[in-house]
Amino acid sequence: MTRLSTPEAPGLQIDTSTEPLIAWRTWALTGRRDGSELLLRPVSGRARPWRPREIAEASCRGARFHRAPQTGCTCGLHGTHGFEILRKTKNPTVLGRVAMWGRIIEHEHGYRAQFAYPQRLKLICQFCFWEWGPRCDRPEHVGWFPRNDLIPLCEEHLHLAIRHGMEPHAVLNAARVSQRLLDAYAIDALAI
Amino acid sequence: MDIGEPKRIIEVIPASLPIPGELAPEPAPLEPDHVEPDHVEPDHVEPNHVEPDHVEPAAPGDQGAEP
Repeated sequence: MTRLSTPEAPGLQIDTSTEPLIAWRTWALTGRRDGSELLLRPVSGRARPWRPREIAEASCRGARFHRAPQTGCTCGLHGTHGFEILRKTKNPTVLGRVAMWGRIIEHEHGYRAQFAYPQRLKLICQFCFWEWGPRCDRPEHVGWFPRNDLIPLCEEHLHLAIRHGMEPHAVLNAARVSQRLLDAYAIDALAI
Repeated sequence: MDIGEPKRIIEVIPASLPIPGELAPEPAPLEPDHVEPDHVEPDHVEPNHVEPDHVEPAAPGDQGAEP
């Protein structure tokens, strides 16, 4: 069903739907040194984490009385139509599919949504992902860094990182971290 | 990340939330079937009849015998 645009969003068509939209997205990952308390976080680092088994809800720090997402702002839970654009993301560690609902603003290359929850996830070596895309091999290791940052790395890029002074304080088995992440969020693995 | 210019707004009200089962809200309880209240007859209880203990009177000489 199509409605006329509103004063709030002049010139934009408004549609309604009962089916959540599915989009691509990347996240950063944090957790404790032993791989527990895993938490998906926006790659920008400034927004709220996506807590396991809680619906993620958009909010906007820019304007207190403004419903997120809002046209004319960048707020909202972002997702993209395709995964190629995500290869330019800064420091992605988890790639996945996300279901979005509520108020959604569709853009040329993706969406900004009011509510979302992950549907499928996969750990990625950000260097392999940047070079080869999502069909790269799964990383073997997850490095634990200060501030609880967890960074999955393939064997080659782990050694490269160490050689360039980016040595993790601990190295975890990526398959185990991956399974813990899926269990925490109660979802399945991304099958690509 | 630049996702381009806005094209349209979509209001999505899903028929069911795409979240793990344990997060889904509990379905509203069904209206109970109409149930007749139990009719319970109170037990008929006879009042206790307690016979007093029968006490034999003491025999003469039992009481106050000097050692």
